[in-house]
Amino acid sequence: MAAIKYVNLYFKLISAGIRAQMQYRFAFIMRIIGLITAYTGTAVTMWVMLYQFQVLGSWTFFEMLFLYAIAILSWGFCVILFLHFRSLDTYILNGTFDRFLVRPINPFFHFMAMKFDMASFGQFIFSLIIFIWVSLELHIEWSSGKVLFLLASIIGGILIQGGMLVLISAIAFWTTKSQQFYWVVMYPARNLTNYPLVIYPKIVQWIAAFVVPFGFVNYFPAAVILEKGTPFFPVSIGYFSPLVGLVFFMIAYCVWMLGLSRYKSTGS
Amino acid sequence: MPIIEVENVRKDFMIAKRETGMMGALKSLIKREYMRKEAVKDISFSINEGEIVGYIGPNGAGKSTTIKMLTGILVPSSGNVLVNGLVPYENRQENAKSIGVVFGQRSQLWWDLPTIESFELLKEIYQVSNQCYKKNMDTFTEILGLDEFLNTPVRQLSLGQRMRADIAASLLHDPPILFLDEPTIGLDVVAKEKMRTFIKEINHERKITVILTTHDMEDIEKLCERMILIDHGMKVYDGEIAMIKERFGKIRTLIVDLEESLHSLQLLGGEVCKEEGNRYWIKFNRDEVSASELIAQITKTHSVKDLTVEEPAIESIISRIYQEGYKDLQVSAKV
Repeated sequence: MAAIKYVNLYFKLISAGIRAQMQYRFAFIMRIIGLITAYTGTAVTMWVMLYQFQVLGSWTFFEMLFLYAIAILSWGFCVILFLHFRSLDTYILNGTFDRFLVRPINPFFHFMAMKFDMASFGQFIFSLIIFIWVSLELHIEWSSGKVLFLLASIIGGILIQGGMLVLISAIAFWTTKSQQFYWVVMYPARNLTNYPLVIYPKIVQWIAAFVVPFGFVNYFPAAVILEKGTPFFPVSIGYFSPLVGLVFFMIAYCVWMLGLSRYKSTGS
Repeated sequence: MPIIEVENVRKDFMIAKRETGMMGALKSLIKREYMRKEAVKDISFSINEGEIVGYIGPNGAGKSTTIKMLTGILVPSSGNVLVNGLVPYENRQENAKSIGVVFGQRSQLWWDLPTIESFELLKEIYQVSNQCYKKNMDTFTEILGLDEFLNTPVRQLSLGQRMRADIAASLLHDPPILFLDEPTIGLDVVAKEKMRTFIKEINHERKITVILTTHDMEDIEKLCERMILIDHGMKVYDGEIAMIKERFGKIRTLIVDLEESLHSLQLLGGEVCKEEGNRYWIKFNRDEVSASELIAQITKTHSVKDLTVEEPAIESIISRIYQEGYKDLQVSAKV
């Protein structure tokens, strides 16, 4: 099937997914409210902490909020696109995954397009508002180069976090269950990025750069935009964000496909 | 011409041994032992274009595993599978275009959306042309009465409606082969009958090759001329249903209601296998003694109120094969 047909099919599938989600109006609205409450909560905690310390590892309150805004901006978009992978293990467990294998399209694509998390749009808009507010407070001069760089690194961030969701879901092809790994890996990794990496021990920073590359989601790109130093790492490391995202997502995709071929030889 | 060819196919699974109790659970958390389970041991068959074949066997015999290998969901451990000229697990997406699949237990439709939307999405997924889609929808609506629930969300459909929707959905792209995994499971008598009529019709009109697994022997009797019977991952019978009935249907039962109750009933060539009040069940072999000879013997000495001769249903033959094995049954049938 040609790429254009896939694009067309993607929009048809996600619009069906959105309509399906809208069927449960109460749950839908509660989810939006829940997301916004959770994020505001984190921001307030941050503020309380910084009120005490004023600066954290040379990062001021608004600089940290900027960091946070980039993180939830890309996470918000990532959830819209990739959250369905979190429930892959449920499909495998109750045998409904097979349906993706009897249809003449790529199962990764089919699975991804089955759900489009509309409610996360609320979160997305919320993070956009914070982002605009913070950039005004920080008097950032937005040259076209900076805007392009920001967009590219947000895409990088989406791919890194999306890749992580895909990687974790792929574990289910081997172990049948994988949601626990979400809480073991994804949750702490995202919490880590709420604060500038510079406050953590060197080993943690190193892991966040080269093992679970969440440093590239917000810390490194934000340091470039705010012209802040990144001890232990070269200043220009943030420019690699989009590339890291692309490579990481490709790896995740390959692992997922490998898992799928294992599934096909073992069943569930 | 064979449209499906299966040659010495085998499928092993590695299953983690589970130990019972809390200690066992802890132990298996740390160190797991695996054992090999042979779901399908060595199965070969070929199916010609336009056939309806019943693929049957007790639970765990390997039916679903075979179907999954034919649809490309599973890769066989060894052996060859060819469906419509393709190796399903190597050309899974290509193969998907030429097969329709219905899993009776699990719907393939979009659960939360009006039924019509599932059809429209499948039209896009399978790239069905507008013309072909319209033609099929018209036909299926007419035969299956889809219009009564097209705007109802799938989760609100009755099981009968859902199965009708599922089978229509599986045929939208005009596949030459249809796999039905327990298509009548849980349906009431009327819904079952509708389903069978539909399967027969599409097989007849469109020459679609149908492979169905079922536990309902009436499905087999009403739909299939041929059945493949498997047990413990091995094929035990493959042939016409008429043949198996001919071979194993020699043992008949004569049921008589007598006027008076007897201490015992002795007959030449027949054997009383059950009695209840004045009613007697007498088993006999059709080749050794005819029903009329038996009846004559009885009426000579007793007055008969009522009588019937029962031919064994395919169901009882098959349950005997499950219990006693096909080979043993062949021997006993000859005697």
